[in-house]
Amino acid sequence: MSLSDLLAMLPILILAFGATAILMAGAWYREPLPLLAGGIVTALLGALSAGLVTPPVPEIAGLFSAGGYARFYTILWSLLAAAGLMTGSRYIIEKRIGAGEYVSLVLYAAAGMALLSSATHLVGLFIALETFTLAFYILIASNRNCALAAEAGLKYLLLGAVATGFMAFGIALIYAASGSLVLPDAVMRLKAETGELQAWGLLGWGMILIAVGFKISLAPFHLWTPDVYQGAPAPVTGLLATGSKGAVVAALVGLLAMSGPVWNDLTDLVWLLAALTMLAGAFGALGQSNLKRLLAYSSVTHMGTLLVGVLCQTSEGFAATTFYVVVYVVTSLGAFAVIASLADGRGEPMTFDQWRGLGYRHPVRCGVLVLLLLSLAGLPATAGFMAKFAVFHAALQSGYIGLLMIGILASVISFAFYLRVTMLLFQPDEKASSWHQGSVFEHTVLAVCSSAVLVLGLFPGLLFGLIRQILP
Amino acid sequence: MMIPFGHALSFAAALFVLGLTCVLLRRQVIMILIGVEIMLNAASLVFVSASAYWQQVDGQVFVILLMAITAAEVAVALAMVVYLWRRKRTLVADEFNGMSG
Repeated sequence: MSLSDLLAMLPILILAFGATAILMAGAWYREPLPLLAGGIVTALLGALSAGLVTPPVPEIAGLFSAGGYARFYTILWSLLAAAGLMTGSRYIIEKRIGAGEYVSLVLYAAAGMALLSSATHLVGLFIALETFTLAFYILIASNRNCALAAEAGLKYLLLGAVATGFMAFGIALIYAASGSLVLPDAVMRLKAETGELQAWGLLGWGMILIAVGFKISLAPFHLWTPDVYQGAPAPVTGLLATGSKGAVVAALVGLLAMSGPVWNDLTDLVWLLAALTMLAGAFGALGQSNLKRLLAYSSVTHMGTLLVGVLCQTSEGFAATTFYVVVYVVTSLGAFAVIASLADGRGEPMTFDQWRGLGYRHPVRCGVLVLLLLSLAGLPATAGFMAKFAVFHAALQSGYIGLLMIGILASVISFAFYLRVTMLLFQPDEKASSWHQGSVFEHTVLAVCSSAVLVLGLFPGLLFGLIRQILP
Repeated sequence: MMIPFGHALSFAAALFVLGLTCVLLRRQVIMILIGVEIMLNAASLVFVSASAYWQQVDGQVFVILLMAITAAEVAVALAMVVYLWRRKRTLVADEFNGMSG
Protein backbone atom coordinates (compact mmCIF):
# COMPACT_ATOMS: atom_id res chain seq x y z
CA MET A 1 0.00 0.00 0.00
CA SER A 2 1.61 3.20 -1.18
CA LEU A 3 1.48 6.70 0.24
CA SER A 4 -1.10 7.80 -2.32
CA ASP A 5 -3.31 4.88 -1.26
CA LEU A 6 -3.06 6.05 2.32
CA LEU A 7 -3.88 9.61 1.31
CA ALA A 8 -6.94 8.38 -0.59
CA MET A 9 -7.97 6.51 2.53
CA LEU A 10 -7.49 9.51 4.82
CA PRO A 11 -11.16 9.91 5.92
CA ILE A 12 -11.38 6.25 6.96
CA LEU A 13 -8.01 6.44 8.71
CA ILE A 14 -9.14 9.52 10.65
CA LEU A 15 -12.32 7.74 11.77
CA ALA A 16 -10.63 4.45 12.66
CA PHE A 17 -7.55 5.88 14.40
CA GLY A 18 -9.66 8.54 16.12
CA ALA A 19 -11.93 5.78 17.41
CA THR A 20 -8.95 3.76 18.66
CA ALA A 21 -7.43 6.80 20.38
CA ILE A 22 -10.72 7.62 22.10
CA LEU A 23 -11.18 4.00 23.16
CA MET A 24 -7.71 4.05 24.75
CA ALA A 25 -8.27 7.43 26.34
CA GLY A 26 -11.62 6.26 27.71
CA ALA A 27 -9.96 3.40 29.55
CA TRP A 28 -8.12 5.80 31.85
CA TYR A 29 -10.13 8.97 31.64
CA ARG A 30 -13.78 8.58 32.55
CA GLU A 31 -15.09 12.15 31.99
CA PRO A 32 -17.72 11.71 29.26
CA LEU A 33 -17.96 15.23 27.81
CA PRO A 34 -14.38 15.63 26.49
CA LEU A 35 -14.55 12.13 24.97
CA LEU A 36 -17.83 12.96 23.24
CA ALA A 37 -16.47 16.27 22.00
CA GLY A 38 -13.38 14.47 20.69
CA GLY A 39 -15.60 11.98 18.89
CA ILE A 40 -17.73 14.67 17.27
CA VAL A 41 -14.60 16.55 16.15
CA THR A 42 -13.13 13.31 14.72
CA ALA A 43 -16.31 12.58 12.78
CA LEU A 44 -16.47 16.12 11.40
CA LEU A 45 -12.77 15.95 10.46
CA GLY A 46 -13.49 12.71 8.61
CA ALA A 47 -16.28 14.41 6.67
CA LEU A 48 -14.10 17.47 5.95
CA SER A 49 -11.17 15.43 4.71
CA ALA A 50 -13.47 13.37 2.47
CA GLY A 51 -14.84 16.57 1.00
CA LEU A 52 -11.63 18.58 0.63
CA VAL A 53 -8.75 16.18 0.00
CA THR A 54 -8.73 15.05 -3.62
CA PRO A 55 -7.78 11.36 -3.71
CA PRO A 56 -4.62 10.81 -5.80
CA VAL A 57 -5.74 7.34 -6.96
CA PRO A 58 -9.19 6.25 -8.12
CA GLU A 59 -9.09 2.94 -6.25
CA ILE A 60 -7.52 1.95 -2.92
CA ALA A 61 -5.56 -1.32 -3.04
CA GLY A 62 -8.09 -2.74 -5.49
CA LEU A 63 -10.57 -3.11 -2.63
CA PHE A 64 -12.33 0.22 -2.27
CA SER A 65 -13.21 2.99 -4.66
CA ALA A 66 -12.14 6.56 -3.92
CA GLY A 67 -14.43 8.11 -6.53
CA GLY A 68 -17.09 10.74 -6.07
CA TYR A 69 -19.79 8.25 -5.14
CA ALA A 70 -17.65 6.73 -2.38
CA ARG A 71 -16.68 10.19 -1.11
CA PHE A 72 -20.30 11.32 -1.05
CA TYR A 73 -21.27 8.45 1.25
CA THR A 74 -18.13 8.84 3.36
CA ILE A 75 -19.23 12.39 4.08
CA LEU A 76 -22.81 11.31 4.77
CA TRP A 77 -21.83 8.54 7.21
CA SER A 78 -19.26 10.72 8.98
CA LEU A 79 -21.89 13.39 9.50
CA LEU A 80 -24.30 10.69 10.65
CA ALA A 81 -21.74 9.55 13.24
CA ALA A 82 -21.40 13.14 14.47
CA ALA A 83 -25.20 13.41 14.72
CA GLY A 84 -25.39 10.05 16.49
CA LEU A 85 -22.83 11.19 19.05
CA MET A 86 -24.70 14.46 19.57
CA THR A 87 -28.06 12.75 20.10
CA GLY A 88 -26.44 10.24 22.43
CA SER A 89 -24.46 12.79 24.45
CA ARG A 90 -26.95 13.36 27.27
CA TYR A 91 -28.44 9.89 27.00
CA ILE A 92 -25.23 7.96 27.68
CA ILE A 93 -24.32 10.17 30.63
CA GLU A 94 -27.71 9.63 32.25
CA LYS A 95 -27.78 5.88 31.57
CA ARG A 96 -24.13 5.51 32.62
CA ILE A 97 -23.03 3.98 29.33
CA GLY A 98 -19.23 4.16 29.01
CA ALA A 99 -18.46 7.25 26.93
CA GLY A 100 -15.18 5.96 25.52
CA GLU A 101 -16.80 2.75 24.33
CA TYR A 102 -19.87 4.46 22.87
CA VAL A 103 -17.91 7.10 20.99
CA SER A 104 -15.34 4.70 19.58
CA LEU A 105 -17.97 2.14 18.52
CA VAL A 106 -20.02 4.78 16.71
CA LEU A 107 -16.89 5.95 14.88
CA TYR A 108 -15.89 2.38 13.97
CA ALA A 109 -19.41 1.81 12.67
CA ALA A 110 -19.15 4.97 10.56
CA ALA A 111 -15.81 3.79 9.16
CA GLY A 112 -17.38 0.44 8.31
CA MET A 113 -20.36 2.05 6.59
CA ALA A 114 -18.12 4.38 4.59
CA LEU A 115 -16.00 1.41 3.48
CA LEU A 116 -19.09 -0.63 2.58
CA SER A 117 -20.50 2.13 0.40
CA SER A 118 -17.20 2.32 -1.50
CA ALA A 119 -16.47 -1.43 -1.83
CA THR A 120 -15.51 -2.64 -5.31
CA HIS A 121 -14.19 -6.03 -4.22
CA LEU A 122 -16.04 -8.81 -2.42
CA VAL A 123 -13.35 -8.98 0.30
CA GLY A 124 -13.76 -5.26 0.96
CA LEU A 125 -17.53 -5.66 0.99
CA PHE A 126 -17.40 -8.47 3.56
CA ILE A 127 -14.90 -6.79 5.89
CA ALA A 128 -16.78 -3.49 5.81
CA LEU A 129 -20.11 -5.18 6.51
CA GLU A 130 -18.65 -7.05 9.48
CA THR A 131 -16.95 -3.92 10.83
CA PHE A 132 -20.13 -2.05 11.48
CA THR A 133 -22.21 -5.11 12.32
CA LEU A 134 -19.82 -6.01 15.15
CA ALA A 135 -19.95 -2.44 16.43
CA PHE A 136 -23.75 -2.53 16.44
CA TYR A 137 -23.89 -5.86 18.33
CA ILE A 138 -22.27 -4.06 21.25
CA LEU A 139 -23.99 -0.69 20.85
CA ILE A 140 -27.49 -2.20 20.93
CA ALA A 141 -26.88 -3.97 24.24
CA SER A 142 -24.83 -1.10 25.68
CA ASN A 143 -27.47 0.02 28.18
CA ARG A 144 -26.79 -2.45 30.96
CA ASN A 145 -29.67 -1.27 33.17
CA CYS A 146 -32.28 -2.32 30.66
CA ALA A 147 -33.49 -5.90 30.18
CA LEU A 148 -35.01 -5.04 26.81
CA ALA A 149 -31.64 -3.81 25.50
CA ALA A 150 -30.03 -7.17 26.34
CA GLU A 151 -32.82 -8.99 24.55
CA ALA A 152 -32.55 -6.71 21.51
CA GLY A 153 -28.79 -7.28 21.47
CA LEU A 154 -29.27 -11.05 21.52
CA LYS A 155 -31.79 -10.96 18.68
CA TYR A 156 -29.61 -8.76 16.51
CA LEU A 157 -26.57 -10.90 17.29
CA LEU A 158 -28.20 -14.18 16.27
CA LEU A 159 -29.79 -12.83 13.10
CA GLY A 160 -26.67 -10.86 12.23
CA ALA A 161 -24.54 -13.99 12.63
CA VAL A 162 -26.86 -16.00 10.36
CA ALA A 163 -26.75 -13.18 7.80
CA THR A 164 -22.94 -13.27 7.97
CA GLY A 165 -23.07 -16.99 7.24
CA PHE A 166 -25.27 -16.43 4.19
CA MET A 167 -23.07 -13.56 3.00
CA ALA A 168 -19.85 -15.58 3.31
CA PHE A 169 -21.35 -18.59 1.54
CA GLY A 170 -22.85 -16.43 -1.20
CA ILE A 171 -19.50 -14.74 -1.83
CA ALA A 172 -17.80 -18.15 -1.81
CA LEU A 173 -20.19 -19.51 -4.43
CA ILE A 174 -19.74 -16.48 -6.66
CA TYR A 175 -15.99 -16.90 -6.39
CA ALA A 176 -16.29 -20.60 -7.13
CA ALA A 177 -18.41 -19.93 -10.22
CA SER A 178 -16.47 -16.97 -11.61
CA GLY A 179 -12.93 -17.28 -10.25
CA SER A 180 -12.80 -13.61 -9.34
CA LEU A 181 -13.53 -11.52 -6.28
CA VAL A 182 -13.42 -8.16 -8.06
CA LEU A 183 -17.03 -7.13 -8.45
CA PRO A 184 -17.42 -5.96 -12.07
CA ASP A 185 -15.05 -8.71 -13.19
CA ALA A 186 -16.93 -11.46 -11.34
CA VAL A 187 -20.25 -10.31 -12.80
CA MET A 188 -18.84 -10.29 -16.31
CA ARG A 189 -17.34 -13.77 -16.01
CA LEU A 190 -20.56 -15.14 -14.53
CA LYS A 191 -22.46 -13.95 -17.59
CA ALA A 192 -20.02 -15.77 -19.87
CA GLU A 193 -20.28 -18.95 -17.79
CA THR A 194 -22.77 -21.65 -18.69
CA GLY A 195 -24.03 -24.87 -17.17
CA GLU A 196 -23.38 -26.00 -13.63
CA LEU A 197 -21.09 -23.16 -12.64
CA GLN A 198 -23.63 -20.53 -13.64
CA ALA A 199 -26.24 -22.25 -11.48
CA TRP A 200 -23.87 -22.12 -8.47
CA GLY A 201 -23.24 -18.44 -9.20
CA LEU A 202 -26.96 -17.73 -9.27
CA LEU A 203 -27.35 -19.56 -5.97
CA GLY A 204 -24.58 -17.32 -4.64
CA TRP A 205 -26.45 -14.17 -5.66
CA GLY A 206 -29.55 -15.60 -3.98
CA MET A 207 -27.60 -16.15 -0.74
CA ILE A 208 -26.24 -12.59 -0.84
CA LEU A 209 -29.78 -11.35 -1.42
CA ILE A 210 -30.92 -13.21 1.71
CA ALA A 211 -28.07 -11.68 3.73
CA VAL A 212 -28.98 -8.23 2.40
CA GLY A 213 -32.61 -9.01 3.23
CA PHE A 214 -31.66 -9.63 6.87
CA LYS A 215 -29.51 -6.49 7.03
CA ILE A 216 -32.03 -4.04 5.56
CA SER A 217 -35.02 -6.01 6.91
CA LEU A 218 -36.85 -7.01 3.77
CA ALA A 219 -39.93 -9.15 4.33
CA PRO A 220 -39.93 -12.05 5.21
CA PHE A 221 -36.61 -11.41 7.01
CA HIS A 222 -37.87 -8.30 8.83
CA LEU A 223 -39.27 -9.85 12.00
CA TRP A 224 -36.30 -8.82 14.16
CA THR A 225 -36.68 -5.14 13.30
CA PRO A 226 -39.41 -3.98 15.72
CA ASP A 227 -37.94 -5.85 18.69
CA VAL A 228 -34.41 -4.58 18.13
CA TYR A 229 -35.56 -1.00 17.52
CA GLN A 230 -37.68 -1.04 20.65
CA GLY A 231 -34.98 -2.47 22.90
CA ALA A 232 -31.96 -0.54 21.66
CA PRO A 233 -31.20 2.92 23.13
CA ALA A 234 -32.89 5.58 20.95
CA PRO A 235 -29.64 7.22 19.69
CA VAL A 236 -28.34 3.78 18.65
CA THR A 237 -31.67 2.93 17.00
CA GLY A 238 -31.34 6.15 15.02
CA LEU A 239 -27.97 4.99 13.68
CA LEU A 240 -29.12 1.41 13.13
CA ALA A 241 -32.22 2.43 11.21
CA THR A 242 -30.38 4.84 8.96
CA GLY A 243 -26.68 4.07 8.54
CA SER A 244 -26.57 0.30 8.67
CA LYS A 245 -29.37 0.02 6.12
CA GLY A 246 -28.39 2.97 3.96
CA ALA A 247 -24.81 1.72 3.62
CA VAL A 248 -25.98 -1.68 2.37
CA VAL A 249 -28.32 -0.07 -0.16
CA ALA A 250 -25.52 2.27 -1.22
CA ALA A 251 -23.20 -0.70 -1.79
CA LEU A 252 -25.91 -2.43 -3.83
CA VAL A 253 -26.45 0.65 -6.00
CA GLY A 254 -22.71 1.16 -6.45
CA LEU A 255 -22.25 -2.47 -7.43
CA LEU A 256 -25.10 -2.47 -9.94
CA ALA A 257 -24.17 0.89 -11.43
CA MET A 258 -20.58 -0.31 -11.92
CA SER A 259 -21.21 -3.72 -13.37
CA GLY A 260 -24.44 -3.40 -15.30
CA PRO A 261 -27.47 -5.65 -14.94
CA VAL A 262 -26.55 -8.47 -12.56
CA TRP A 263 -29.69 -10.20 -11.57
CA ASN A 264 -31.74 -10.48 -14.72
CA ASP A 265 -32.50 -14.02 -13.58
CA LEU A 266 -33.43 -12.79 -10.13
CA THR A 267 -35.68 -9.93 -11.23
CA ASP A 268 -38.90 -11.77 -10.37
CA LEU A 269 -37.57 -12.67 -6.94
CA VAL A 270 -36.53 -9.08 -6.18
CA TRP A 271 -39.89 -7.85 -7.49
CA LEU A 272 -41.65 -10.17 -5.06
CA LEU A 273 -39.38 -9.14 -2.16
CA ALA A 274 -40.04 -5.44 -2.81
CA ALA A 275 -43.80 -5.88 -3.04
CA LEU A 276 -43.95 -8.08 0.04
CA THR A 277 -41.73 -5.71 2.04
CA MET A 278 -43.77 -2.60 1.26
CA LEU A 279 -47.03 -4.30 2.21
CA ALA A 280 -45.65 -6.11 5.29
CA GLY A 281 -44.29 -2.81 6.64
CA ALA A 282 -47.47 -0.86 6.01
CA PHE A 283 -49.85 -3.47 7.43
CA GLY A 284 -47.51 -4.28 10.32
CA ALA A 285 -47.41 -0.65 11.42
CA LEU A 286 -51.19 -0.33 11.54
CA GLY A 287 -51.57 -2.42 14.68
CA GLN A 288 -48.70 -0.88 16.67
CA SER A 289 -49.15 1.14 19.83
CA ASN A 290 -45.48 1.95 20.39
CA LEU A 291 -43.77 4.71 18.46
CA LYS A 292 -40.41 2.94 18.16
CA ARG A 293 -42.03 -0.23 16.80
CA LEU A 294 -44.13 1.88 14.45
CA LEU A 295 -40.99 3.56 13.13
CA ALA A 296 -39.45 0.10 12.69
CA TYR A 297 -42.31 -1.02 10.45
CA SER A 298 -42.17 2.32 8.65
CA SER A 299 -38.49 1.65 7.94
CA VAL A 300 -39.45 -1.76 6.52
CA THR A 301 -41.83 -0.06 4.08
CA HIS A 302 -39.15 2.44 3.10
CA MET A 303 -36.66 -0.35 2.42
CA GLY A 304 -39.23 -1.95 0.10
CA THR A 305 -39.58 1.33 -1.78
CA LEU A 306 -35.79 1.64 -2.01
CA LEU A 307 -35.61 -1.85 -3.47
CA VAL A 308 -38.00 -0.73 -6.22
CA GLY A 309 -35.51 1.98 -7.15
CA VAL A 310 -32.64 -0.52 -7.12
CA LEU A 311 -34.65 -3.00 -9.20
CA CYS A 312 -35.08 -0.49 -12.04
CA GLN A 313 -31.33 -0.77 -12.81
CA THR A 314 -31.41 2.47 -14.80
CA SER A 315 -29.36 5.56 -14.05
CA GLU A 316 -32.57 7.34 -13.13
CA GLY A 317 -33.46 4.56 -10.72
CA PHE A 318 -30.02 4.73 -9.09
CA ALA A 319 -30.19 8.53 -8.77
CA ALA A 320 -33.66 8.27 -7.23
CA THR A 321 -32.47 5.56 -4.82
CA THR A 322 -29.47 7.62 -3.73
CA PHE A 323 -31.68 10.65 -3.15
CA TYR A 324 -34.11 8.47 -1.21
CA VAL A 325 -31.32 7.11 0.99
CA VAL A 326 -30.19 10.62 1.94
CA VAL A 327 -33.74 11.78 2.65
CA TYR A 328 -34.57 8.65 4.63
CA VAL A 329 -31.38 8.95 6.69
CA VAL A 330 -32.07 12.57 7.60
CA THR A 331 -35.76 12.04 8.40
CA SER A 332 -35.48 8.81 10.33
CA LEU A 333 -32.48 10.03 12.33
CA GLY A 334 -34.45 13.12 13.29
CA ALA A 335 -37.44 11.07 14.45
CA PHE A 336 -35.29 8.92 16.73
CA ALA A 337 -33.43 12.04 17.93
CA VAL A 338 -36.77 13.47 19.13
CA ILE A 339 -37.34 10.30 21.18
CA ALA A 340 -33.79 10.46 22.56
CA SER A 341 -34.13 14.14 23.46
CA LEU A 342 -37.30 13.47 25.49
CA ALA A 343 -35.78 10.54 27.41
CA ASP A 344 -35.26 11.08 31.13
CA GLY A 345 -34.86 9.01 34.29
CA ARG A 346 -38.04 7.03 33.50
CA GLY A 347 -36.64 5.97 30.13
CA GLU A 348 -37.87 6.93 26.68
CA PRO A 349 -41.47 7.84 25.83
CA MET A 350 -42.59 4.87 23.74
CA THR A 351 -46.20 3.79 24.10
CA PHE A 352 -48.98 5.88 22.61
CA ASP A 353 -50.32 6.52 26.12
CA GLN A 354 -47.08 8.29 26.94
CA TRP A 355 -47.20 10.34 23.73
CA ARG A 356 -50.84 11.44 24.07
CA GLY A 357 -51.06 15.21 24.52
CA LEU A 358 -47.30 15.67 24.52
CA GLY A 359 -47.70 18.30 21.80
CA TYR A 360 -48.87 20.76 24.44
CA ARG A 361 -45.99 20.05 26.81
CA HIS A 362 -43.20 20.13 24.21
CA PRO A 363 -44.65 22.01 21.23
CA VAL A 364 -41.40 22.59 19.33
CA ARG A 365 -40.05 19.08 19.39
CA CYS A 366 -43.45 17.51 18.77
CA GLY A 367 -43.86 19.91 15.86
CA VAL A 368 -40.53 18.69 14.48
CA LEU A 369 -41.66 15.10 14.98
CA VAL A 370 -44.86 15.79 13.06
CA LEU A 371 -42.89 17.35 10.22
CA LEU A 372 -40.58 14.32 10.08
CA LEU A 373 -43.47 11.85 10.22
CA LEU A 374 -45.24 13.68 7.40
CA SER A 375 -42.03 13.53 5.39
CA LEU A 376 -41.81 9.79 6.07
CA ALA A 377 -45.41 9.53 4.90
CA GLY A 378 -44.55 11.49 1.76
CA LEU A 379 -46.61 14.67 2.10
CA PRO A 380 -45.98 17.10 -0.78
CA ALA A 381 -43.50 19.95 -0.03
CA THR A 382 -41.47 17.67 2.24
CA ALA A 383 -38.34 15.81 1.16
CA GLY A 384 -40.09 12.46 1.57
CA PHE A 385 -42.53 13.32 -1.20
CA MET A 386 -39.80 14.19 -3.69
CA ALA A 387 -37.93 10.99 -2.85
CA LYS A 388 -40.98 8.76 -3.29
CA PHE A 389 -41.96 10.60 -6.44
CA ALA A 390 -38.51 10.10 -7.96
CA VAL A 391 -38.46 6.37 -7.19
CA PHE A 392 -41.98 5.80 -8.48
CA HIS A 393 -41.22 7.82 -11.59
CA ALA A 394 -38.18 5.64 -12.27
CA ALA A 395 -40.31 2.53 -11.71
CA LEU A 396 -42.89 3.82 -14.18
CA GLN A 397 -40.22 4.44 -16.82
CA SER A 398 -38.81 0.96 -16.37
CA GLY A 399 -42.27 -0.50 -16.75
CA TYR A 400 -42.86 -1.80 -13.23
CA ILE A 401 -46.50 -0.71 -13.14
CA GLY A 402 -47.54 -3.44 -10.68
CA LEU A 403 -44.87 -2.43 -8.17
CA LEU A 404 -45.84 1.21 -8.61
CA MET A 405 -49.44 0.39 -7.69
CA ILE A 406 -48.37 -1.60 -4.64
CA GLY A 407 -46.03 1.23 -3.60
CA ILE A 408 -48.80 3.80 -3.83
CA LEU A 409 -51.14 1.51 -1.89
CA ALA A 410 -48.52 1.10 0.84
CA SER A 411 -48.02 4.89 0.97
CA VAL A 412 -51.74 5.48 1.36
CA ILE A 413 -51.90 2.94 4.19
CA SER A 414 -48.89 4.53 5.86
CA PHE A 415 -50.61 7.91 5.86
CA ALA A 416 -53.18 6.37 8.20
CA PHE A 417 -50.72 5.50 10.96
CA TYR A 418 -48.54 8.60 10.61
CA LEU A 419 -51.64 10.78 10.90
CA ARG A 420 -52.80 8.72 13.88
CA VAL A 421 -49.58 9.61 15.74
CA THR A 422 -49.92 13.25 14.72
CA MET A 423 -53.44 13.47 16.08
CA LEU A 424 -52.39 11.65 19.21
CA LEU A 425 -49.68 14.22 19.90
CA PHE A 426 -52.17 17.08 19.86
CA GLN A 427 -55.03 15.43 21.71
CA PRO A 428 -55.82 17.40 24.85
CA ASP A 429 -54.78 15.28 27.80
CA GLU A 430 -54.54 16.64 31.35
CA LYS A 431 -52.45 13.71 32.52
CA ALA A 432 -49.69 14.18 29.93
CA SER A 433 -46.43 14.41 31.84
CA SER A 434 -43.45 16.56 30.98
CA TRP A 435 -40.29 14.88 29.74
CA HIS A 436 -36.74 16.13 29.54
CA GLN A 437 -36.04 19.55 28.06
CA GLY A 438 -33.21 18.22 25.92
CA SER A 439 -29.66 19.52 25.55
CA VAL A 440 -28.18 21.97 23.06
CA PHE A 441 -26.62 19.11 21.08
CA GLU A 442 -29.96 17.36 20.65
CA HIS A 443 -31.70 20.55 19.57
CA THR A 444 -28.94 21.20 17.03
CA VAL A 445 -29.46 17.78 15.44
CA LEU A 446 -33.22 18.34 15.31
CA ALA A 447 -32.78 21.79 13.75
CA VAL A 448 -30.42 20.39 11.08
CA CYS A 449 -32.69 17.42 10.28
CA SER A 450 -35.90 19.42 10.04
CA SER A 451 -34.36 22.18 7.92
CA ALA A 452 -32.79 19.55 5.63
CA VAL A 453 -36.21 17.94 5.19
CA LEU A 454 -37.73 21.29 4.21
CA VAL A 455 -34.87 22.40 1.94
CA LEU A 456 -34.69 19.06 0.11
CA GLY A 457 -38.47 19.09 -0.23
CA LEU A 458 -38.55 22.55 -1.80
CA PHE A 459 -35.27 22.44 -3.78
CA PRO A 460 -34.61 18.77 -4.60
CA GLY A 461 -32.65 19.83 -7.71
CA LEU A 462 -29.68 20.81 -5.52
CA LEU A 463 -29.05 17.25 -4.40
CA PHE A 464 -30.19 15.58 -7.62
CA GLY A 465 -27.65 17.59 -9.62
CA LEU A 466 -24.85 16.43 -7.32
CA ILE A 467 -26.00 12.80 -7.38
CA ARG A 468 -26.13 12.69 -11.19
CA GLN A 469 -22.51 13.86 -11.29
CA ILE A 470 -21.13 11.31 -8.85
CA LEU A 471 -22.95 8.12 -9.85
CA PRO A 472 -20.33 5.67 -11.13
CA MET B 1 -7.10 -32.11 -8.85
CA MET B 2 -8.10 -35.33 -7.13
CA ILE B 3 -11.65 -34.49 -6.14
CA PRO B 4 -14.08 -33.16 -8.78
CA PHE B 5 -15.04 -29.53 -8.18
CA GLY B 6 -18.76 -30.32 -8.17
CA HIS B 7 -18.30 -32.84 -5.35
CA ALA B 8 -16.49 -30.30 -3.18
CA LEU B 9 -19.25 -27.74 -3.78
CA SER B 10 -22.00 -30.26 -3.03
CA PHE B 11 -20.28 -31.33 0.17
CA ALA B 12 -19.90 -27.70 1.27
CA ALA B 13 -23.56 -27.03 0.44
CA ALA B 14 -24.60 -30.01 2.57
CA LEU B 15 -22.46 -28.70 5.42
CA PHE B 16 -24.09 -25.28 5.06
CA VAL B 17 -27.57 -26.78 5.22
CA LEU B 18 -26.58 -28.76 8.31
CA GLY B 19 -25.38 -25.58 9.99
CA LEU B 20 -28.54 -23.74 9.04
CA THR B 21 -30.68 -26.60 10.38
CA CYS B 22 -28.77 -26.40 13.64
CA VAL B 23 -29.47 -22.65 13.82
CA LEU B 24 -33.16 -23.10 13.11
CA LEU B 25 -33.84 -26.10 15.36
CA ARG B 26 -31.64 -25.64 18.45
CA ARG B 27 -32.84 -23.22 21.12
CA GLN B 28 -29.63 -22.82 23.12
CA VAL B 29 -27.78 -19.63 22.19
CA ILE B 30 -24.44 -21.50 22.24
CA MET B 31 -25.73 -24.21 19.89
CA ILE B 32 -27.09 -21.56 17.51
CA LEU B 33 -23.67 -19.92 17.43
CA ILE B 34 -22.06 -23.29 16.70
CA GLY B 35 -24.48 -23.69 13.79
CA VAL B 36 -23.32 -20.34 12.43
CA GLU B 37 -19.71 -21.48 12.74
CA ILE B 38 -20.53 -24.55 10.65
CA MET B 39 -22.13 -22.32 8.00
CA LEU B 40 -18.98 -20.19 7.91
CA ASN B 41 -16.79 -23.29 7.68
CA ALA B 42 -18.81 -24.44 4.69
CA ALA B 43 -18.01 -21.10 3.06
CA SER B 44 -14.30 -21.59 3.84
CA LEU B 45 -14.42 -25.01 2.22
CA VAL B 46 -15.87 -23.54 -0.96
CA PHE B 47 -13.14 -20.90 -0.99
CA VAL B 48 -10.35 -23.45 -0.60
CA SER B 49 -11.70 -25.76 -3.29
CA ALA B 50 -12.41 -22.86 -5.67
CA SER B 51 -8.91 -21.59 -5.04
CA ALA B 52 -7.54 -24.94 -6.15
CA TYR B 53 -9.88 -25.11 -9.13
CA TRP B 54 -9.01 -21.65 -10.49
CA GLN B 55 -5.33 -21.96 -9.52
CA GLN B 56 -5.36 -18.68 -7.56
CA VAL B 57 -4.53 -17.72 -4.00
CA ASP B 58 -7.39 -15.21 -3.65
CA GLY B 59 -9.71 -17.80 -2.14
CA GLN B 60 -7.14 -18.93 0.41
CA VAL B 61 -6.50 -15.33 1.44
CA PHE B 62 -10.23 -14.89 1.96
CA VAL B 63 -10.29 -17.96 4.21
CA ILE B 64 -7.63 -16.44 6.46
CA LEU B 65 -9.59 -13.17 6.59
CA LEU B 66 -12.75 -15.12 7.32
CA MET B 67 -11.03 -16.81 10.27
CA ALA B 68 -10.00 -13.45 11.70
CA ILE B 69 -13.49 -12.01 11.28
CA THR B 70 -15.07 -15.12 12.79
CA ALA B 71 -12.74 -14.82 15.78
CA ALA B 72 -13.85 -11.22 16.30
CA GLU B 73 -17.48 -12.22 15.98
CA VAL B 74 -17.12 -15.10 18.43
CA ALA B 75 -15.40 -12.79 20.92
CA VAL B 76 -18.35 -10.40 20.84
CA ALA B 77 -20.93 -13.21 20.83
CA LEU B 78 -19.44 -15.02 23.81
CA ALA B 79 -19.17 -11.75 25.76
CA MET B 80 -22.86 -11.34 25.04
CA VAL B 81 -23.56 -14.90 26.20
CA VAL B 82 -21.80 -14.26 29.50
CA TYR B 83 -23.72 -11.00 29.93
CA LEU B 84 -27.08 -12.63 29.17
CA TRP B 85 -26.35 -15.47 31.59
CA ARG B 86 -25.59 -13.00 34.36
CA ARG B 87 -28.80 -11.09 33.68
CA LYS B 88 -31.24 -13.91 33.31
CA ARG B 89 -29.57 -17.19 34.36
CA THR B 90 -30.69 -18.86 31.17
CA LEU B 91 -29.40 -19.20 27.61
CA VAL B 92 -32.54 -20.56 25.97
CA ALA B 93 -33.37 -18.15 23.16
CA ASP B 94 -37.13 -18.51 23.64
CA GLU B 95 -36.89 -17.20 27.22
CA PHE B 96 -35.98 -13.77 25.87
CA ASN B 97 -39.49 -12.73 24.93
CA GLY B 98 -40.06 -9.45 26.73
CA MET B 99 -41.19 -7.67 23.58
CA SER B 100 -43.98 -8.54 21.19
CA GLY B 101 -46.56 -6.92 18.99
